[in-house]
Amino acid sequence: MSIEVQNISKKFAGFTALDNINLDIHSGELLALLGPSGCGKTTLLRIIAGLEKADSGKIIFNGQDSTDTHVSKRQIGFVFQHYALFRHMTVFDNIAFGLNVKPRKDRPSQEAIREKVMALLKMVQLDWLANAYPSQLSGGQRQRIALARSLAVEPQVLLLDEPFGALDAKVRKDLRRWLRQLHDDINLTSIFVTHDQEEALEVSDRVVVMNHGKIEQVGSPDEIYDTPASPFVTQFLGDVNLFHGRIQDKHFTSGDFRHEISQHSAHFTGAEAIAYIRPHDIEISLDATNALGHGQIEHIHSIGPIVRVEIARDGQDENIEVVLTKERYRSLGLMPGDSVYVKARKVAVFDPASV
Amino acid sequence: MSHSTTPDFRTEQPLTRWILTAIALAFVFIFIALPLFLIFSEAISKGFEFYQATIMHSDAMAAISLTLLTAAIAVPLNVVFGACAAWAITHFKFRGKSFLITLIDLPFSVSPVVAGLMYLLLFGSQSTLGTWLIEHDYKIIFAVPGIVIATTFVTFPFVARELIPLMQAQGSDEEHAAMVLGANGFQAFLKVTLPKIKWGLLYGIILTNARAMGEFGAVSVISGHIRGATNTIPLHVEILYNEFNITGAFVCASVLALLAIATLVIKTIIEWRQNKLVARSLARTKSAQTVFAMPARQVATAS
Repeated sequence: MSIEVQNISKKFAGFTALDNINLDIHSGELLALLGPSGCGKTTLLRIIAGLEKADSGKIIFNGQDSTDTHVSKRQIGFVFQHYALFRHMTVFDNIAFGLNVKPRKDRPSQEAIREKVMALLKMVQLDWLANAYPSQLSGGQRQRIALARSLAVEPQVLLLDEPFGALDAKVRKDLRRWLRQLHDDINLTSIFVTHDQEEALEVSDRVVVMNHGKIEQVGSPDEIYDTPASPFVTQFLGDVNLFHGRIQDKHFTSGDFRHEISQHSAHFTGAEAIAYIRPHDIEISLDATNALGHGQIEHIHSIGPIVRVEIARDGQDENIEVVLTKERYRSLGLMPGDSVYVKARKVAVFDPASV
Repeated sequence: MSHSTTPDFRTEQPLTRWILTAIALAFVFIFIALPLFLIFSEAISKGFEFYQATIMHSDAMAAISLTLLTAAIAVPLNVVFGACAAWAITHFKFRGKSFLITLIDLPFSVSPVVAGLMYLLLFGSQSTLGTWLIEHDYKIIFAVPGIVIATTFVTFPFVARELIPLMQAQGSDEEHAAMVLGANGFQAFLKVTLPKIKWGLLYGIILTNARAMGEFGAVSVISGHIRGATNTIPLHVEILYNEFNITGAFVCASVLALLAIATLVIKTIIEWRQNKLVARSLARTKSAQTVFAMPARQVATAS
């Protein structure tokens, strides 16, 4: 099912949660709403679900205006951040709930319900927990039961609010791959909310980056990561070094240094500019050709397969952070105190006024 | 089982433990057990026949049935009102919400005598409403309806006060989940909210019932003390006491105490049965977990 979000705005007591949001969600895609807390992503998800009412704008399901359709009639699955399992019901009754509350004429027989619930429990690999109560389950188990429960009514859209937020790192990784698999197997439209950029980039077909109630950028994970549309997106997606300078005929100059920039990475042509460079897009070198800066190595931290080098830049307070592979680090033979040049493999240049 | 659930007391000095326990027990004995014992011992001091005769007296019987009738009307009314008010306050945002919360507490802060007087003025011959009622031959004050209204007023906060914090703490996520799954508002209340709040509700009902049967002040003002017609048990106790029929007063008081004890016993039985059900399901899952623990772990590593 395709979903269109048209001009949605929402205010909470003077605070603008969503500011005129427009978004097309394609049928069958897995979409991530990514942003810091308070950016409006959960509010948008709840408005799509019908749990919250927008001040203005429309929600279109499959070409039909569903703005005023009651949440119980939208045929959606919703997985709550804290799962919201019915604590007084067994796992079996939790999953059967959606089928049991159907009007008598649409309700499957008890036999059929039983079969369906057991099939869903098998799918989430927890059929041995049918008689357990939610309080007896671990976080990961609750998450999977909440998913099974939302799928029991065969929704066309699955909405997940911070689905992995409350889980520990290992379970989180396993579950998000499993969710991706599940999405492909049962072929529905899924939207999930997250503040974890790694999660969004790994799992989704498209990512919507939000900030202060507005959409900053929509695109595939690669597009978002490789060509961020704004300083916010650049900084939100990972660590980044800032170089202040000027743009002069296809070159970014910072102090005595110049760096040639290709046309597409310059989003404007003006005097002052800031270059954003990720730690792993910086090369450490001993010669000055095409360099962006010079400094002395202050710290070297070896973290598993990578090495993080901090360089004190000449005449600057902020250190440059560089990430190297262990092989590269060994071949350079770097030591603290060494005087080195830094070169950028890839830069994103923005107007400082837009920061 | 009891070993694992008993908290570790080794951090407390034995003397502290002993003194605290002694204070609690002494307090309960002096202020609750002893008076209760006195009521019953005094009630049967003139023998069982006197006890029976006092209760079987037509005025006493009328008082008992009126008390039960009042509770039977006031309690369900307050359960419905209280649940509605608590639901509205915790689930909806509306203007005047804090004003409503303050109003719910009003019966607690107003003296019951004032409450009775208030209804006397509202429904009495001094007011327009009262005059209209009298003209149309509706009896409210000095009659059963007045007693029921006054009792309902006085006992109104119990259920709502019990439910509001409970429902606020539990949030509305589960109700929302039920609605997303296709349940309508009534189904969500019946199948999700009610089971969550049932202990709070039961406790509210017990408090409401105890107060409804024992209310004196408000009922005293509005009832008119008509023997055999508008006297509840507490009013009857007072009448007997004022007539120097001390033992008779204690007999009627013991009836009231028995009703209270009966309520508590019912509550305990329900709780006990519920705990047994939960314990049985826990035991069942535990055995299932031990049986299936091996294959489950294999599945987890395989996937």
